[in-house]
Amino acid sequence: MKRRDFLAASSSFLLPVMVGGFGVKAFGANSPLVQSLMKTDALAKDRVLVIIYLNGGNDGLNTVIPLDQYSMYNTLRTNIAIPQTSVLPIGDGSTGLHPSMTGLKQLHANGKLAVVHSVSYPTPSYSHYRATDIWMTATDAAVQADTGWAGRYLEDRFANYPTPPITDRDATNAVMEDPLAIQIGYLTSTTLLGSNQSMAVAINDPQTYAALVGGGTGGLINDLPCCDAGDLVTFIRQQQALAVSYSTEITTAHNAGNITPTPVYPTGNSIADQLKIVARLVGGGLKTKVYFLSIGGFDTHSTQVQAGGGTNNNLGGHATLLGKLSAGIKAFQDDLQARGIEDKVAGFTFSEFGRRANSNSSAGTDHGVAAPMFVFGSSIKRQSVGRNPNIGGYSLLPTDLNGSVGNQDLKMQIDFRRIYWDILTDWFGRSKTDATSLFLNKTFDTVSLFTDEVCTIKTGSWHDEKTWSCGRVPFISENARICAGHTVTLSANASVKNLQNYGNLIMGTGVNLSVKGV
Amino acid sequence: MNYSLNAYTQPLSGAEAAHLLRRATFGPTQTEITNFTGLSASTAIQNLINNINYIPTPPVDLNDTKTTVGQEYVNSAYDSVLARNFEFRYYYNHWWINMMAKQGGNPSIIDKMTLFWQNHFVTTEAAVDEYRAIYKYFMKVRSRSLENFKDFVRDITYDPAMLKYLNGNENTKGTGGAASNENYARELQELFVVGAKDFAGNSNYTENDVKAAARVLTGWQYTNFYTNTTTSVGNKFTLTRHDTAPKIFSANYGSVTINTPTSIPVGYNNVAEVEIDALLNMLFIHPETPKFICRKLYRFFVNPNVTQAIEDNVIVPLANIFKSVDAGTGRSFEIKPIIQKLLSSEHFYDVGNIGAIIKSPAEFIIGSHRFFNFPVPTIDSANLVNSIKNYRTYAQYIYDRMSEMQMILLDQPTVFGYDAYFQTGYSRNWINTSQVGLRNSFTDKLITGRTLVSGITPLVTIKIDMVAMVDKPTTATYNAADAANVVDLVTANLMATGLTTNQKMFLTDTIMLSLQPRTSWANQWATYKSAPTNTTNLNTVKSKLEGLMKYLLRMAEYSIC
Repeated sequence: MKRRDFLAASSSFLLPVMVGGFGVKAFGANSPLVQSLMKTDALAKDRVLVIIYLNGGNDGLNTVIPLDQYSMYNTLRTNIAIPQTSVLPIGDGSTGLHPSMTGLKQLHANGKLAVVHSVSYPTPSYSHYRATDIWMTATDAAVQADTGWAGRYLEDRFANYPTPPITDRDATNAVMEDPLAIQIGYLTSTTLLGSNQSMAVAINDPQTYAALVGGGTGGLINDLPCCDAGDLVTFIRQQQALAVSYSTEITTAHNAGNITPTPVYPTGNSIADQLKIVARLVGGGLKTKVYFLSIGGFDTHSTQVQAGGGTNNNLGGHATLLGKLSAGIKAFQDDLQARGIEDKVAGFTFSEFGRRANSNSSAGTDHGVAAPMFVFGSSIKRQSVGRNPNIGGYSLLPTDLNGSVGNQDLKMQIDFRRIYWDILTDWFGRSKTDATSLFLNKTFDTVSLFTDEVCTIKTGSWHDEKTWSCGRVPFISENARICAGHTVTLSANASVKNLQNYGNLIMGTGVNLSVKGV
Repeated sequence: MNYSLNAYTQPLSGAEAAHLLRRATFGPTQTEITNFTGLSASTAIQNLINNINYIPTPPVDLNDTKTTVGQEYVNSAYDSVLARNFEFRYYYNHWWINMMAKQGGNPSIIDKMTLFWQNHFVTTEAAVDEYRAIYKYFMKVRSRSLENFKDFVRDITYDPAMLKYLNGNENTKGTGGAASNENYARELQELFVVGAKDFAGNSNYTENDVKAAARVLTGWQYTNFYTNTTTSVGNKFTLTRHDTAPKIFSANYGSVTINTPTSIPVGYNNVAEVEIDALLNMLFIHPETPKFICRKLYRFFVNPNVTQAIEDNVIVPLANIFKSVDAGTGRSFEIKPIIQKLLSSEHFYDVGNIGAIIKSPAEFIIGSHRFFNFPVPTIDSANLVNSIKNYRTYAQYIYDRMSEMQMILLDQPTVFGYDAYFQTGYSRNWINTSQVGLRNSFTDKLITGRTLVSGITPLVTIKIDMVAMVDKPTTATYNAADAANVVDLVTANLMATGLTTNQKMFLTDTIMLSLQPRTSWANQWATYKSAPTNTTNLNTVKSKLEGLMKYLLRMAEYSIC
């Protein structure tokens, strides 16, 4: 939802809206919702996004476990199943996290972690390379693109990159002297590719970075050889110039971000090491907008759990990775909070695909389709998008298992680009028109990650999860909105916190919608 | 651009000889460039093939605290008590780096070909771990790198290291008509033989083809890993682990069905070998197979930027040669003829392909060692411990620099190989703001210099001696007292592309002379020559020359080949 749309709507709807005999309150300008939305946009230009890539294809079903369908889960993957009593329940307890992820469980309890269930895209690829490319370029599976989705955003927002002065159109064309994006490590990712070059700089260690890039070359004569060689020389010279120009900014921020007491991070944890650098740079005032981090090892074709069965299934390679991820993000979030910059930063994890629902006989899992994503930060407003995949426990819902016995994939509930869409629109404040062009002329429905209300995304039954942006029926604790042009049919009693009705609501006979109010 | 695959008939100029050597080896020495200048393109590539030593001296124990130092170990019995597995596999890196750098005075294409195929059929030291399996795999890749591609794929399919790396070992008949591990079956099609998509982006096969191929490949395991007293690793086939139901493939493969034969034909050890041959036949009939391989070779050796015109005029004709029967061997899919064809073609020598690749860390680092003719330590039985120390330290330094530049030898980050050989942007992936810093600090160190191992004999120093480089007798075209002559001399063949007159003036006046008049250099050189032992005089000319070289090696032009 866009702030301008909302304010226009709320000012012209000061009359109470009557729905089925219940008064539905229109929000005044002083309501917390409007306040938060106004605050939202005012800060959008200063916001930071952290992307964590789980390289290899994360096994979603051992990451987020459908506790309410435990026996089916156990049947699908007996040799690697996490014992029921070991799973860490979250929310109402129907869903649980891998036992190694105590940090994420805590963040979920504090409202700082969202689980987006069964994320994928139509006609998924099982190839590491192609699937990674699809996630990073955010195109349809059949479309090849040479630019990354975040790279396109940065290129659209900042003019003249990489030639100074680089200006920020979200900040009245103020000059941007800091890197637009930083990848921790030595190589840059496709996600941050602009049309001519990466929009990111890669740094491995801010402390040694300045010494490393030194004085550069800075030749005055810019003669070029012909053909591809000339393009390559131009490219290298730009990288040399960028390295030098950014080294001061990075060093300054890194020094300024050194606080006491020293933030506590787990050691021997590569993702924690990377997040530590990010927190310090953001805390030190670096204006970089996107950070890209990665952790490898998720291609768990065999022995993803420790041998021996039982609670040994809680241990092993996959458990170690998830434990590092969880502890890293928890420490990061605590660090941001201590620095008072928690509201500026949001992050998410992604992997090129999930893995099969059924395990293979080598105590591993093969390439699959859908898997959960984690979105973290104090600004998120949803704790769950979508629901546990139906692996046989929900008799009223179509199964989410696809394929023959022994080859069962999890179907998609949520297209990953809907999360990207919310990041571009609600987090970074792009207009829908801008976002559409950043997705190469495609639009996506919101998943209401950053808004105080969930909304309809089509006409349909109130009780159909596909009617709602959040991929499930609104909770009693949530504000709901029926958008203009949508007709929603209520055929059984339901409860929400508040309802905004800009479309039609058809109530079945004798059916009640209870609105609890603010 | 000239797209012709016809042989380039002009005798090679120095720059052209250097172009070939930069692509076919890890970079030339000045002597090698001279030796290849004036050859025909066909003779030049033939020499690079003729110079191959297919039976290199095996690696030796490089741990100078062990009594077995300097001894070969790859064929001795496995000994878990000694616990040397990690060291033994790690020494392959030293061994290979020394081979890349040494070239035995006669440069050959073998190490570059080996790197290409090792990065094609990736298995990694870290994942395979067993030192004998890694050696067996490595020697297989090396010895087959210019031979028959189909034999190569077959050999790799049965390779113990590959059975471990891509989980063939765990691939048994599964439940519900599925194989239990499809890792190798997928990469066999996607990465090794057919490619996931054609040039236009259409899928070359279906997901079901992956599953069917995985079932063909069921039943194989590696043997003898970490087994005491065994002298080699191997593989074995277990019929009860094999899926004997029919495997049906899609229309992309002509709707072939592969059945398990009822008896074992002559020449085969088991039914699965028959099925694997049928699978490979099917993959090799796919029209995209020869194009996929030729395109990958092209991107590695000629130019990563494959345009539609290059696809149509170079890749497709080359692929047609690849899939047709070779007159020499009577077989199709021979690698050597297409390498010869490509690297002696008019197209290869077209100016548009000169400098069209950003040097990989191997090319950048080993190429620098070779260009400046640094000594490559050899193992000397008369001075074993010291020579081993030099040999090991030399390679370790190169290995470490390559690793921080994200090219860890024999340890690609994924089965796709190094990013720069498949990721959008290709060789540009080697460069970013951190990498330019790492390249600078490496080349700066060549000028400040370092000793491999201090306090031993022989003492080996890696340092560019600039004064010796320019202190050449005066001729009709060269005078060391002329700063412009000096710049011409030290930039000769240094870069793939030529420098412009403006650039050379800038290098002479601004970089080397710091805007002092050129006559001052003439005086300083004359002063130095009149009393070469005078340190002040020496340092005056040396600092100018070293400043120049430091700048040259930091130039973007030095990073392309």
